[in-house]
Amino acid sequence: MQVEVRGLSKTFGPVRAVDDLSFTVAPGQVTGFLGPNGAGKTTTLRMALGLVTPDAGTTTFNGIRYADLPDPLRRVGAVLETAFHPARSGRNHLRVYCRAAGLPLRRADEVLDQVGLGPAGGRKAGGYSLGMRQRLGLATALLGDPAVLVLDEPANGLDPEGIQWLRGFLRHLAHAEGRTVLVSSHLLAEVDQTADRVVIVGAGKLVREGSLTQLRAGADADGAGTVLVRSPEAGRLAQELTAAGVPVEATGTEALTVTGLTAAEVGSRAFASGIELHELRAHSTGLEELYFRLTAGQEQFAAAGSADATDRQAAS
Amino acid sequence: MGRLVRSEWTKLLTTRVWLGLLLASCLLSVGFAVLLTAFAGNPQSGIPPVGSSQYEQLAFAVPANVTVLTLILGIIGTTQEYRHRTATPTFLATPRRGHVVIAKLLAYAVAAAPFALAVVAVTTLTVVLHAGARGAAPAWDADDLGVLARSGLALVVYAVIGVGLGALFRNQVGAIVGSLVYLFVVEPIIRSIPATAGVYKWLPGGALEAMTATFAGPDLLTAWQGGLLLLGYGLLAAVLGTLLAVRRDVV
Repeated sequence: MQVEVRGLSKTFGPVRAVDDLSFTVAPGQVTGFLGPNGAGKTTTLRMALGLVTPDAGTTTFNGIRYADLPDPLRRVGAVLETAFHPARSGRNHLRVYCRAAGLPLRRADEVLDQVGLGPAGGRKAGGYSLGMRQRLGLATALLGDPAVLVLDEPANGLDPEGIQWLRGFLRHLAHAEGRTVLVSSHLLAEVDQTADRVVIVGAGKLVREGSLTQLRAGADADGAGTVLVRSPEAGRLAQELTAAGVPVEATGTEALTVTGLTAAEVGSRAFASGIELHELRAHSTGLEELYFRLTAGQEQFAAAGSADATDRQAAS
Repeated sequence: MGRLVRSEWTKLLTTRVWLGLLLASCLLSVGFAVLLTAFAGNPQSGIPPVGSSQYEQLAFAVPANVTVLTLILGIIGTTQEYRHRTATPTFLATPRRGHVVIAKLLAYAVAAAPFALAVVAVTTLTVVLHAGARGAAPAWDADDLGVLARSGLALVVYAVIGVGLGALFRNQVGAIVGSLVYLFVVEPIIRSIPATAGVYKWLPGGALEAMTATFAGPDLLTAWQGGLLLLGYGLLAAVLGTLLAVRRDVV
Protein backbone atom coordinates (compact mmCIF):
# COMPACT_ATOMS: atom_id res chain seq x y z
CA MET A 1 0.00 0.00 0.00
CA GLN A 2 1.45 3.34 -1.07
CA VAL A 3 1.17 6.44 1.06
CA GLU A 4 0.97 9.78 -0.76
CA VAL A 5 1.34 13.02 1.15
CA ARG A 6 0.34 15.95 -1.07
CA GLY A 7 0.68 19.61 -0.21
CA LEU A 8 0.02 19.31 3.54
CA SER A 9 -0.01 22.59 5.43
CA LYS A 10 -0.92 23.45 9.00
CA THR A 11 -0.59 26.65 11.00
CA PHE A 12 -0.81 26.78 14.79
CA GLY A 13 -1.27 30.42 15.77
CA PRO A 14 1.73 32.26 14.36
CA VAL A 15 3.70 29.07 13.68
CA ARG A 16 3.62 27.48 10.26
CA ALA A 17 4.15 23.93 11.56
CA VAL A 18 3.90 22.20 8.18
CA ASP A 19 4.34 24.07 4.93
CA ASP A 20 3.20 22.56 1.62
CA LEU A 21 4.79 19.19 2.36
CA SER A 22 4.64 16.39 -0.21
CA PHE A 23 6.34 13.00 -0.27
CA THR A 24 5.63 9.38 -1.09
CA VAL A 25 6.15 6.26 0.98
CA ALA A 26 6.49 3.00 -0.93
CA PRO A 27 5.77 -0.56 0.21
CA GLY A 28 8.55 -3.06 0.95
CA GLN A 29 10.82 -0.35 2.32
CA VAL A 30 11.54 1.36 5.58
CA THR A 31 11.22 5.11 5.05
CA GLY A 32 12.85 7.32 7.66
CA PHE A 33 11.04 10.60 8.35
CA LEU A 34 13.79 12.83 9.68
CA GLY A 35 13.87 16.30 11.09
CA PRO A 36 14.82 18.18 14.24
CA ASN A 37 12.38 18.54 17.11
CA GLY A 38 9.66 20.97 16.10
CA ALA A 39 10.14 20.39 12.36
CA GLY A 40 6.51 19.29 12.00
CA LYS A 41 6.97 15.51 11.89
CA THR A 42 4.34 14.64 14.50
CA THR A 43 1.85 17.15 13.08
CA THR A 44 2.37 15.67 9.61
CA LEU A 45 1.76 12.12 10.83
CA ARG A 46 -1.31 13.20 12.83
CA MET A 47 -2.72 14.97 9.76
CA ALA A 48 -2.05 11.86 7.65
CA LEU A 49 -4.10 9.81 10.11
CA GLY A 50 -7.01 12.23 10.40
CA LEU A 51 -6.34 13.27 14.00
CA VAL A 52 -5.41 16.82 13.04
CA THR A 53 -7.26 18.60 10.26
CA PRO A 54 -4.82 20.10 7.74
CA ASP A 55 -5.30 23.67 6.51
CA ALA A 56 -4.55 22.33 3.04
CA GLY A 57 -3.45 19.14 1.36
CA THR A 58 -4.33 15.46 1.56
CA THR A 59 -2.81 12.15 2.52
CA THR A 60 -4.00 8.97 0.84
CA PHE A 61 -3.40 5.26 1.37
CA ASN A 62 -3.64 3.61 -2.06
CA GLY A 63 -5.71 6.62 -3.07
CA ILE A 64 -8.05 6.60 -0.06
CA ARG A 65 -8.01 9.09 2.83
CA TYR A 66 -7.57 7.54 6.30
CA ALA A 67 -11.03 8.59 7.49
CA ASP A 68 -12.57 6.87 4.45
CA LEU A 69 -10.68 3.58 4.85
CA PRO A 70 -12.98 0.67 5.64
CA ASP A 71 -11.63 -0.96 8.85
CA PRO A 72 -8.66 1.42 9.18
CA LEU A 73 -6.89 -0.66 11.88
CA ARG A 74 -6.69 -3.58 9.45
CA ARG A 75 -4.91 -1.40 6.89
CA VAL A 76 -2.84 1.15 8.78
CA GLY A 77 -1.20 0.70 12.17
CA ALA A 78 0.16 3.73 14.00
CA VAL A 79 2.33 4.33 17.05
CA LEU A 80 1.94 8.02 17.80
CA GLU A 81 2.35 8.27 21.53
CA THR A 82 2.19 5.90 24.42
CA ALA A 83 -1.47 6.46 25.28
CA PHE A 84 -3.38 4.12 27.55
CA HIS A 85 -5.38 4.12 30.76
CA PRO A 86 -2.85 3.50 33.56
CA ALA A 87 -5.24 1.26 35.52
CA ARG A 88 -6.00 -1.00 32.55
CA SER A 89 -3.78 -4.00 31.83
CA GLY A 90 -1.84 -4.13 28.58
CA ARG A 91 -3.90 -7.08 27.39
CA ASN A 92 -7.20 -5.34 28.16
CA HIS A 93 -5.97 -2.17 26.43
CA LEU A 94 -5.44 -4.24 23.29
CA ARG A 95 -8.79 -6.00 23.70
CA VAL A 96 -10.58 -2.64 23.66
CA TYR A 97 -9.25 -2.01 20.15
CA CYS A 98 -9.84 -5.64 19.07
CA ARG A 99 -13.50 -4.99 19.89
CA ALA A 100 -13.58 -1.64 18.10
CA ALA A 101 -11.98 -3.09 14.95
CA GLY A 102 -13.99 -6.32 15.03
CA LEU A 103 -10.87 -8.45 15.52
CA PRO A 104 -10.84 -11.68 17.53
CA LEU A 105 -9.66 -11.15 21.12
CA ARG A 106 -6.84 -13.65 20.70
CA ARG A 107 -5.08 -11.03 18.52
CA ALA A 108 -4.29 -9.21 21.78
CA ASP A 109 -2.21 -12.15 23.01
CA GLU A 110 -0.63 -12.72 19.62
CA VAL A 111 0.71 -9.17 19.31
CA LEU A 112 1.82 -9.14 22.96
CA ASP A 113 3.99 -12.16 22.18
CA GLN A 114 5.14 -10.58 18.91
CA VAL A 115 6.60 -7.56 20.73
CA GLY A 116 7.92 -9.62 23.64
CA LEU A 117 5.41 -8.33 26.17
CA GLY A 118 3.53 -11.61 26.72
CA PRO A 119 4.42 -12.16 30.39
CA ALA A 120 3.56 -8.53 31.31
CA GLY A 121 0.18 -8.55 29.53
CA GLY A 122 -1.82 -8.94 32.73
CA ARG A 123 -0.11 -6.08 34.55
CA LYS A 124 -1.48 -2.56 34.73
CA ALA A 125 -0.03 -0.48 31.91
CA GLY A 126 0.61 2.39 34.32
CA GLY A 127 3.36 0.31 35.91
CA TYR A 128 5.17 -0.35 32.62
CA SER A 129 8.66 1.02 31.96
CA LEU A 130 9.09 3.48 29.07
CA GLY A 131 10.41 0.68 26.86
CA MET A 132 7.44 -1.55 27.68
CA ARG A 133 5.07 1.32 26.85
CA GLN A 134 6.70 1.68 23.44
CA ARG A 135 6.27 -2.04 22.89
CA LEU A 136 2.61 -1.83 23.91
CA GLY A 137 2.15 1.03 21.43
CA LEU A 138 3.75 -1.10 18.73
CA ALA A 139 1.52 -4.04 19.70
CA THR A 140 -1.55 -1.79 19.31
CA ALA A 141 -0.38 -0.82 15.82
CA LEU A 142 0.09 -4.47 14.84
CA LEU A 143 -3.36 -5.61 16.05
CA GLY A 144 -5.03 -5.45 12.64
CA ASP A 145 -2.04 -6.96 10.78
CA PRO A 146 -1.87 -3.73 8.70
CA ALA A 147 -0.09 -3.23 5.38
CA VAL A 148 1.13 0.20 6.49
CA LEU A 149 2.92 1.04 9.74
CA VAL A 150 3.43 4.61 10.86
CA LEU A 151 5.70 5.08 13.87
CA ASP A 152 6.48 8.40 15.56
CA GLU A 153 9.83 8.28 17.39
CA PRO A 154 9.39 4.61 18.35
CA ALA A 155 12.91 4.27 19.77
CA ASN A 156 12.28 6.80 22.54
CA GLY A 157 12.83 5.09 25.85
CA LEU A 158 14.06 1.81 24.43
CA ASP A 159 17.28 0.37 25.84
CA PRO A 160 20.14 -0.55 23.45
CA GLU A 161 18.84 -4.10 23.16
CA GLY A 162 15.34 -2.80 22.47
CA ILE A 163 16.62 -0.46 19.75
CA GLN A 164 18.53 -3.32 18.12
CA TRP A 165 15.38 -5.44 18.27
CA LEU A 166 13.22 -2.64 16.84
CA ARG A 167 15.56 -2.15 13.88
CA GLY A 168 15.48 -5.82 13.01
CA PHE A 169 11.72 -5.94 13.51
CA LEU A 170 11.02 -2.96 11.22
CA ARG A 171 13.34 -4.30 8.52
CA HIS A 172 11.62 -7.67 8.73
CA LEU A 173 8.16 -6.07 8.45
CA ALA A 174 9.21 -4.13 5.32
CA HIS A 175 11.68 -6.40 3.53
CA ALA A 176 10.37 -9.88 4.36
CA GLU A 177 6.68 -9.09 4.69
CA GLY A 178 6.46 -6.30 2.11
CA ARG A 179 4.77 -3.77 4.38
CA THR A 180 5.04 -0.01 4.08
CA VAL A 181 6.97 1.30 7.08
CA LEU A 182 7.27 5.02 7.86
CA VAL A 183 9.32 5.78 10.95
CA SER A 184 10.07 9.26 12.23
CA SER A 185 13.12 10.29 14.21
CA HIS A 186 15.08 13.40 15.02
CA LEU A 187 18.34 11.42 14.87
CA LEU A 188 19.97 10.36 11.62
CA ALA A 189 21.95 7.68 13.46
CA GLU A 190 18.71 6.05 14.50
CA VAL A 191 17.37 5.44 11.01
CA ASP A 192 20.80 5.17 9.38
CA GLN A 193 20.93 1.39 9.69
CA THR A 194 17.20 0.78 9.28
CA ALA A 195 15.88 3.01 6.54
CA ASP A 196 16.09 2.42 2.81
CA ARG A 197 14.80 5.87 2.03
CA VAL A 198 14.67 9.09 4.00
CA VAL A 199 12.44 12.12 3.89
CA ILE A 200 14.12 15.03 5.64
CA VAL A 201 12.06 17.99 6.83
CA GLY A 202 13.09 21.25 8.43
CA ALA A 203 10.73 23.97 9.66
CA GLY A 204 7.76 22.15 8.12
CA LYS A 205 9.25 22.02 4.63
CA LEU A 206 10.70 19.16 2.64
CA VAL A 207 14.50 19.41 2.53
CA ARG A 208 15.60 16.15 0.91
CA GLU A 209 13.89 12.99 -0.21
CA GLY A 210 15.50 9.89 -1.66
CA SER A 211 17.23 6.60 -1.04
CA LEU A 212 19.79 6.74 1.74
CA THR A 213 22.67 5.64 -0.54
CA GLN A 214 21.71 8.20 -3.17
CA LEU A 215 21.48 11.01 -0.62
CA ARG A 216 24.75 9.97 0.99
CA ALA A 217 26.55 9.96 -2.37
CA GLY A 218 25.08 13.35 -3.21
CA ALA A 219 26.07 14.82 0.11
CA ASP A 220 29.59 13.38 -0.11
CA ALA A 221 29.93 14.88 -3.58
CA ASP A 222 28.97 18.20 -2.01
CA GLY A 223 32.14 17.75 0.02
CA ALA A 224 30.52 17.84 3.39
CA GLY A 225 32.11 14.70 4.90
CA THR A 226 34.99 14.92 7.36
CA VAL A 227 38.00 12.64 7.91
CA LEU A 228 40.10 12.43 11.08
CA VAL A 229 43.86 11.98 10.59
CA ARG A 230 46.57 11.43 13.18
CA SER A 231 50.16 11.78 12.15
CA PRO A 232 53.53 12.74 13.73
CA GLU A 233 53.89 15.05 10.71
CA ALA A 234 50.43 16.62 11.03
CA GLY A 235 51.82 20.08 10.32
CA ARG A 236 53.37 19.07 6.97
CA LEU A 237 50.21 17.21 5.92
CA ALA A 238 48.10 20.26 6.80
CA GLN A 239 50.33 22.47 4.64
CA GLU A 240 50.12 20.08 1.67
CA LEU A 241 46.36 19.80 1.90
CA THR A 242 45.80 23.53 2.42
CA ALA A 243 47.99 24.21 -0.61
CA ALA A 244 45.70 21.90 -2.59
CA GLY A 245 42.70 23.94 -1.45
CA VAL A 246 41.32 21.37 0.99
CA PRO A 247 39.87 22.79 4.25
CA VAL A 248 41.86 21.45 7.22
CA GLU A 249 41.45 22.05 10.91
CA ALA A 250 43.93 21.09 13.60
CA THR A 251 42.14 19.12 16.31
CA GLY A 252 45.23 18.49 18.48
CA THR A 253 49.00 18.57 18.25
CA GLU A 254 49.11 15.55 15.97
CA ALA A 255 45.55 15.40 14.70
CA LEU A 256 43.68 17.02 11.81
CA THR A 257 40.10 17.11 10.64
CA VAL A 258 39.89 17.19 6.86
CA THR A 259 36.70 18.24 5.13
CA GLY A 260 35.63 17.27 1.61
CA LEU A 261 37.89 14.28 0.99
CA THR A 262 37.28 10.60 1.62
CA ALA A 263 39.58 8.68 3.96
CA ALA A 264 41.07 6.92 0.92
CA GLU A 265 41.87 10.23 -0.80
CA VAL A 266 43.56 11.61 2.32
CA GLY A 267 45.54 8.35 2.65
CA SER A 268 46.81 8.37 -0.92
CA ARG A 269 47.90 12.03 -0.69
CA ALA A 270 49.79 11.30 2.52
CA PHE A 271 51.41 8.27 0.91
CA ALA A 272 52.42 10.28 -2.13
CA SER A 273 54.15 12.81 0.13
CA GLY A 274 55.71 10.07 2.27
CA ILE A 275 53.89 11.15 5.41
CA GLU A 276 53.49 8.55 8.15
CA LEU A 277 49.89 8.12 9.41
CA HIS A 278 48.90 6.67 12.78
CA GLU A 279 45.17 6.93 12.36
CA LEU A 280 42.84 7.59 9.47
CA ARG A 281 39.08 7.32 9.69
CA ALA A 282 35.90 8.85 8.38
CA HIS A 283 34.64 11.10 11.13
CA SER A 284 31.23 11.82 9.70
CA THR A 285 29.63 11.18 6.38
CA GLY A 286 28.40 13.96 4.17
CA LEU A 287 24.83 13.13 5.05
CA GLU A 288 25.50 13.44 8.77
CA GLU A 289 27.14 16.82 8.19
CA LEU A 290 24.30 17.90 5.96
CA TYR A 291 21.74 16.79 8.54
CA PHE A 292 23.70 18.44 11.32
CA ARG A 293 23.86 21.73 9.44
CA LEU A 294 20.15 21.41 8.73
CA THR A 295 19.21 20.83 12.33
CA ALA A 296 21.76 23.06 14.06
CA GLY A 297 20.05 25.96 15.78
CA GLN A 298 16.62 24.65 14.93
CA GLU A 299 16.13 22.55 18.02
CA GLN A 300 13.45 24.17 20.11
CA PHE A 301 14.82 22.75 23.32
CA ALA A 302 18.47 22.68 22.35
CA ALA A 303 19.95 21.68 25.70
CA ALA A 304 17.49 18.90 26.44
CA GLY A 305 17.56 17.74 22.83
CA SER A 306 21.32 17.43 22.62
CA ALA A 307 21.61 15.65 25.96
CA ASP A 308 19.00 13.26 24.69
CA ALA A 309 20.91 12.85 21.46
CA THR A 310 24.13 12.05 23.29
CA ASP A 311 22.35 9.39 25.33
CA ARG A 312 20.85 7.91 22.23
CA GLN A 313 24.09 7.84 20.33
CA ALA A 314 25.82 6.25 23.29
CA ALA A 315 23.00 3.74 23.38
CA SER A 316 23.25 2.87 19.73
CA MET B 1 -21.98 0.16 15.88
CA GLY B 2 -22.35 -3.10 17.83
CA ARG B 3 -18.60 -3.57 18.05
CA LEU B 4 -18.04 0.04 19.10
CA VAL B 5 -20.56 -0.38 21.92
CA ARG B 6 -18.83 -3.60 23.01
CA SER B 7 -15.50 -1.76 22.89
CA GLU B 8 -16.95 0.86 25.26
CA TRP B 9 -18.16 -1.86 27.63
CA THR B 10 -14.68 -3.41 27.61
CA LYS B 11 -13.25 0.03 28.49
CA LEU B 12 -15.80 0.44 31.29
CA LEU B 13 -15.30 -3.00 32.82
CA THR B 14 -11.51 -3.13 32.65
CA THR B 15 -11.00 -0.35 35.20
CA ARG B 16 -12.63 -0.21 38.62
CA VAL B 17 -14.30 3.19 38.32
CA TRP B 18 -17.74 1.61 37.87
CA LEU B 19 -17.30 -0.57 40.95
CA GLY B 20 -16.34 2.34 43.18
CA LEU B 21 -19.25 4.43 41.94
CA LEU B 22 -21.67 1.50 42.30
CA LEU B 23 -20.61 0.84 45.90
CA ALA B 24 -20.82 4.55 46.72
CA SER B 25 -24.29 4.78 45.11
CA CYS B 26 -25.57 1.75 47.04
CA LEU B 27 -24.14 2.94 50.35
CA LEU B 28 -25.48 6.47 49.97
CA SER B 29 -28.89 5.28 48.86
CA VAL B 30 -29.15 2.75 51.70
CA GLY B 31 -27.98 5.42 54.14
CA PHE B 32 -30.63 7.91 52.96
CA ALA B 33 -33.31 5.20 53.16
CA VAL B 34 -32.30 4.28 56.71
CA LEU B 35 -32.34 7.93 57.83
CA LEU B 36 -35.68 8.57 56.14
CA THR B 37 -37.26 5.50 57.74
CA ALA B 38 -35.75 6.19 61.16
CA PHE B 39 -37.26 9.68 61.27
CA ALA B 40 -40.55 8.75 59.57
CA GLY B 41 -43.49 9.87 61.65
CA ASN B 42 -41.26 12.06 63.82
CA PRO B 43 -43.28 15.30 64.06
CA GLN B 44 -40.14 17.48 64.09
CA SER B 45 -38.73 15.95 60.90
CA GLY B 46 -41.92 16.48 58.93
CA ILE B 47 -41.55 13.04 57.34
CA PRO B 48 -44.84 11.14 57.08
CA PRO B 49 -45.11 7.95 59.17
CA VAL B 50 -44.26 4.47 57.85
CA GLY B 51 -47.27 2.80 56.30
CA SER B 52 -48.46 6.03 54.74
CA SER B 53 -48.47 6.22 50.96
CA GLN B 54 -46.49 9.47 51.12
CA TYR B 55 -43.68 7.87 53.14
CA GLU B 56 -43.45 4.93 50.74
CA GLN B 57 -43.18 7.11 47.68
CA LEU B 58 -40.55 9.26 49.37
CA ALA B 59 -38.60 6.14 50.31
CA PHE B 60 -38.77 4.67 46.81
CA ALA B 61 -37.58 7.96 45.34
CA VAL B 62 -34.35 7.76 47.37
CA PRO B 63 -32.26 6.25 44.50
CA ALA B 64 -32.85 9.47 42.55
CA ASN B 65 -30.69 11.23 45.16
CA VAL B 66 -27.57 9.53 43.84
CA THR B 67 -28.08 10.44 40.18
CA VAL B 68 -24.99 12.63 40.54
CA LEU B 69 -22.91 9.45 40.73
CA THR B 70 -24.20 7.99 37.45
CA LEU B 71 -23.68 11.47 36.00
CA ILE B 72 -20.02 11.21 37.07
CA LEU B 73 -19.84 7.67 35.61
CA GLY B 74 -20.90 9.05 32.23
CA ILE B 75 -18.59 12.08 32.46
CA ILE B 76 -15.60 9.86 33.21
CA GLY B 77 -16.61 7.55 30.35
CA THR B 78 -16.04 10.32 27.82
CA THR B 79 -13.40 12.51 29.46
CA GLN B 80 -11.01 9.66 30.28
CA GLU B 81 -10.24 9.49 26.56
CA TYR B 82 -8.73 12.96 26.84
CA ARG B 83 -7.36 12.62 30.36
CA HIS B 84 -5.34 9.52 29.47
CA ARG B 85 -4.88 10.51 25.82
CA THR B 86 -6.56 7.33 24.58
CA ALA B 87 -8.53 9.58 22.24
CA THR B 88 -5.66 8.97 19.80
CA PRO B 89 -6.02 5.15 19.50
CA THR B 90 -9.80 5.45 19.82
CA PHE B 91 -10.11 7.86 16.89
CA LEU B 92 -7.54 5.87 14.89
CA ALA B 93 -9.79 2.83 15.26
CA THR B 94 -12.90 4.91 14.49
CA PRO B 95 -12.09 8.01 12.45
CA ARG B 96 -15.78 8.99 12.36
CA ARG B 97 -15.78 10.55 15.79
CA GLY B 98 -19.54 11.01 15.94
CA HIS B 99 -19.84 7.22 15.91
CA VAL B 100 -17.68 7.04 19.02
CA VAL B 101 -19.98 9.48 20.84
CA ILE B 102 -23.11 7.57 19.76
CA ALA B 103 -21.51 4.28 20.87
CA LYS B 104 -20.73 5.78 24.26
CA LEU B 105 -24.29 7.08 24.68
CA LEU B 106 -25.71 3.64 23.86
CA ALA B 107 -23.11 1.75 25.89
CA TYR B 108 -23.64 3.84 29.02
CA ALA B 109 -27.43 3.84 28.69
CA VAL B 110 -27.39 0.04 28.65
CA ALA B 111 -24.63 -0.35 31.27
CA ALA B 112 -26.39 2.05 33.64
CA ALA B 113 -29.50 -0.20 33.66
CA PRO B 114 -28.06 -3.02 35.81
CA PHE B 115 -26.25 -0.33 37.83
CA ALA B 116 -29.59 1.39 38.52
CA LEU B 117 -31.24 -1.96 39.17
CA ALA B 118 -28.66 -2.77 41.87
CA VAL B 119 -29.14 0.63 43.57
CA VAL B 120 -32.94 0.28 43.41
CA ALA B 121 -32.76 -3.30 44.74
CA VAL B 122 -30.62 -2.56 47.80
CA THR B 123 -32.70 0.54 48.57
CA THR B 124 -35.94 -1.41 48.29
CA LEU B 125 -34.54 -4.16 50.50
CA THR B 126 -33.55 -1.59 53.12
CA VAL B 127 -36.99 0.05 53.04
CA VAL B 128 -38.81 -3.30 53.25
CA LEU B 129 -36.72 -4.52 56.19
CA HIS B 130 -36.51 -1.25 58.10
CA ALA B 131 -40.11 -0.12 57.58
CA GLY B 132 -41.24 -3.69 58.23
CA ALA B 133 -39.35 -3.69 61.51
CA ARG B 134 -41.12 -0.44 62.39
CA GLY B 135 -44.45 -2.14 61.80
CA ALA B 136 -45.54 -1.36 58.24
CA ALA B 137 -44.06 -3.06 55.17
CA PRO B 138 -44.71 -1.15 51.89
CA ALA B 139 -48.05 -1.60 50.23
CA TRP B 140 -46.57 -2.14 46.75
CA ASP B 141 -49.34 -0.25 45.02
CA ALA B 142 -49.04 1.17 41.53
CA ASP B 143 -47.78 4.53 42.82
CA ASP B 144 -44.97 2.86 44.77
CA LEU B 145 -43.85 0.83 41.80
CA GLY B 146 -44.08 3.83 39.50
CA VAL B 147 -41.82 5.96 41.72
CA LEU B 148 -39.34 3.10 42.05
CA ALA B 149 -39.17 2.58 38.28
CA ARG B 150 -38.78 6.30 37.59
CA SER B 151 -35.99 6.60 40.17
CA GLY B 152 -34.09 3.82 38.41
CA LEU B 153 -34.75 5.42 35.03
CA ALA B 154 -33.42 8.74 36.34
CA LEU B 155 -30.13 7.03 37.20
CA VAL B 156 -29.86 5.76 33.62
CA VAL B 157 -30.77 9.11 32.06
CA TYR B 158 -28.15 10.91 34.19
CA ALA B 159 -25.45 8.53 32.93
CA VAL B 160 -26.43 9.53 29.38
CA ILE B 161 -26.29 13.22 30.34
CA GLY B 162 -22.81 12.58 31.79
CA VAL B 163 -21.56 11.15 28.50
CA GLY B 164 -22.91 14.21 26.69
CA LEU B 165 -21.37 16.68 29.15
CA GLY B 166 -18.04 14.85 28.96
CA ALA B 167 -18.06 15.14 25.18
CA LEU B 168 -18.79 18.86 25.45
CA PHE B 169 -16.24 19.78 28.12
CA ARG B 170 -13.52 17.11 27.59
CA ASN B 171 -11.80 18.17 30.85
CA GLN B 172 -12.66 15.55 33.47
CA VAL B 173 -12.12 17.55 36.64
CA GLY B 174 -13.74 20.64 35.13
CA ALA B 175 -16.81 18.74 33.95
CA ILE B 176 -17.33 17.00 37.31
CA VAL B 177 -16.73 20.08 39.46
CA GLY B 178 -18.85 22.21 37.12
CA SER B 179 -21.72 19.72 37.33
CA LEU B 180 -21.55 19.54 41.12
CA VAL B 181 -21.52 23.32 41.44
CA TYR B 182 -24.43 23.61 39.05
CA LEU B 183 -26.54 20.91 40.71
CA PHE B 184 -25.85 21.83 44.33
CA VAL B 185 -25.32 25.59 44.21
CA VAL B 186 -26.76 27.18 41.07
CA GLU B 187 -30.01 25.24 40.77
CA PRO B 188 -31.02 25.48 44.45
CA ILE B 189 -30.58 29.25 44.19
CA ILE B 190 -32.67 29.44 41.03
CA ARG B 191 -35.29 27.24 42.70
CA SER B 192 -35.50 29.39 45.83
CA ILE B 193 -35.62 32.87 44.25
CA PRO B 194 -39.22 33.70 43.32
CA ALA B 195 -38.20 35.67 40.24
CA THR B 196 -36.40 32.69 38.69
CA ALA B 197 -38.41 29.84 40.22
CA GLY B 198 -40.61 29.69 37.13
CA VAL B 199 -37.62 28.61 35.04
CA TYR B 200 -36.71 25.82 37.45
CA LYS B 201 -39.12 23.26 36.02
CA TRP B 202 -37.32 23.46 32.67
CA LEU B 203 -33.88 22.82 34.23
CA PRO B 204 -32.31 19.38 34.80
CA GLY B 205 -32.98 19.50 38.56
CA GLY B 206 -36.60 20.47 38.03
CA ALA B 207 -36.98 17.71 35.45
CA LEU B 208 -35.51 15.18 37.87
CA GLU B 209 -37.84 16.39 40.59
CA ALA B 210 -40.74 16.02 38.16
CA MET B 211 -39.76 12.39 37.59
CA THR B 212 -39.65 11.36 41.23
CA ALA B 213 -41.10 14.03 43.50
CA THR B 214 -44.22 13.10 45.41
CA PHE B 215 -44.55 16.01 47.78
CA ALA B 216 -46.20 19.22 46.87
CA GLY B 217 -43.30 21.35 45.69
CA PRO B 218 -42.73 24.01 43.07
CA ASP B 219 -44.52 24.02 39.77
CA LEU B 220 -43.19 21.00 37.81
CA LEU B 221 -43.69 19.15 34.57
CA THR B 222 -45.30 15.71 34.56
CA ALA B 223 -43.00 12.76 35.21
CA TRP B 224 -42.67 11.59 31.62
CA GLN B 225 -42.13 15.16 30.37
CA GLY B 226 -39.37 15.53 32.94
CA GLY B 227 -37.73 12.30 31.77
CA LEU B 228 -37.85 13.35 28.12
CA LEU B 229 -36.50 16.80 28.97
CA LEU B 230 -33.55 15.24 30.83
CA LEU B 231 -32.84 12.88 27.93
CA GLY B 232 -33.05 15.92 25.63
CA TYR B 233 -30.42 17.74 27.71
CA GLY B 234 -28.13 14.70 27.49
CA LEU B 235 -28.50 14.40 23.73
CA LEU B 236 -28.15 18.15 23.22
CA ALA B 237 -24.86 18.11 25.13
CA ALA B 238 -23.70 15.12 23.07
CA VAL B 239 -24.60 16.78 19.75
CA LEU B 240 -22.98 20.10 20.75
CA GLY B 241 -19.98 18.20 22.09
CA THR B 242 -19.57 16.27 18.85
CA LEU B 243 -19.83 19.43 16.74
CA LEU B 244 -17.79 21.78 18.91
CA ALA B 245 -15.32 19.76 21.00
CA VAL B 246 -14.84 16.18 19.79
CA ARG B 247 -14.05 17.31 16.24
CA ARG B 248 -11.12 19.40 17.36
CA ASP B 249 -7.56 18.35 16.58
CA VAL B 250 -6.14 15.64 18.79
CA VAL B 251 -2.55 16.80 19.23
